[in-house]
Amino acid sequence: MTGPLIPMNIIPEAWNNVIALLIGIGFGFTLEASGFSSSRKIMGTFFGYDFVVLRVFFTAALTAMTGIIYFDFMGWMDASMLYINPFYVSPAIIGGLVMGAGFALGGFCPGTSFCGIAIGKIDAMVFAGGLFVGIFFFSEAYSLFESLYNSGNMGDALIFDMLGMSKAVFAFLLIMAAIGMFYGATFIEKLVKKVEY
Amino acid sequence: MNKNYLILTILALILGFGILFMPDIKHNNEIKPEKLLLMVDEPSRFLSSDVITDRLVKKDPALVLIDVRSAAEFKTFAIPGSINIPLDSLLETSSLEIMGTKDLDKVFYSNADVAADQAWIICKRMGFETIYVMQGGLNNWFNTIVKAEKPADTEPIETVELYQFRKGASQYFYGNGDSTAGQSQQNTQKKTTILMKKEAGASSGGGC
Repeated sequence: MTGPLIPMNIIPEAWNNVIALLIGIGFGFTLEASGFSSSRKIMGTFFGYDFVVLRVFFTAALTAMTGIIYFDFMGWMDASMLYINPFYVSPAIIGGLVMGAGFALGGFCPGTSFCGIAIGKIDAMVFAGGLFVGIFFFSEAYSLFESLYNSGNMGDALIFDMLGMSKAVFAFLLIMAAIGMFYGATFIEKLVKKVEY
Repeated sequence: MNKNYLILTILALILGFGILFMPDIKHNNEIKPEKLLLMVDEPSRFLSSDVITDRLVKKDPALVLIDVRSAAEFKTFAIPGSINIPLDSLLETSSLEIMGTKDLDKVFYSNADVAADQAWIICKRMGFETIYVMQGGLNNWFNTIVKAEKPADTEPIETVELYQFRKGASQYFYGNGDSTAGQSQQNTQKKTTILMKKEAGASSGGGC
């Protein structure tokens, strides 16, 4: 958990794993309840018949973003204490392509594949098996990838800093883009033949 | 169009415009003046020179004795085992790392109390914990420890024991000779190695 509750010693560090487990159970339950344990859900994004994945992830991003901005403004939390993952430019692009190809091929993301396993889906089990094979090969061949893996570290880069605009303008534009995307996705869904599953 | 989507869209628009016109507020991470006043009044922020000396003799690894005088003064004479962070370089990264280390007791001293108190207040306002001031400063330390006065035979046993402790400490630092010998022995100060681990809560100084 990277929220400022633990760095500020409001919650002792020993609770880290307990909180992670509770959030994980909630996350898995919600994924399954929303139908994400079916590989057709994710495939829908690629074929244009179901954009729920896009909606979910953009809603999550918007909720978190507006939440952090407003909480920081109210003084309920200190956004400057949040942990930001370091940004590696080229590894992020290449990794994103590999992961996207995996999504499109398998119809799962790592999280949804475990949801699928929990309800006994065989394709999800095969997907998760492939996941571990991939981890194994990456670990074994790490020395080959090492220079790429560690290249282009830009630290805790923030996109609005890199674009040279203010945080508020970027947040506003992102909300506008998301709303546009939501309606655009609905429009495409209407054009594409509905797939029943 | 689903009515729920319309409501959510309007909500997102309102929040978005709110962010756009939100004034840029810098949070004040300093502690409140009332709290600082209470802390300034608290006598436990002072450690007596005897307590410090005892911990120095016992080589307490949790103690960092910090001389806030200038580097030149530190070179001329300083308490053995202390490190030098002049008041004007208190906010440098290397100093802040020491202040941010939770498990260390940071004790300031200067010639008297004034500069050490200034360093204490600055660090306290930045939110650092376990910081103290050595009461009476170097002058008091020199007069009580190095120049410990032999009590009369009629004094109570505690006074005599205190004198023996001070005399012993003085000999520990400067050998058996004259107390002024300390002046020539400043180069024998042991180098304290400090594990520098920046505390997450100390991020007000910048950095990640």
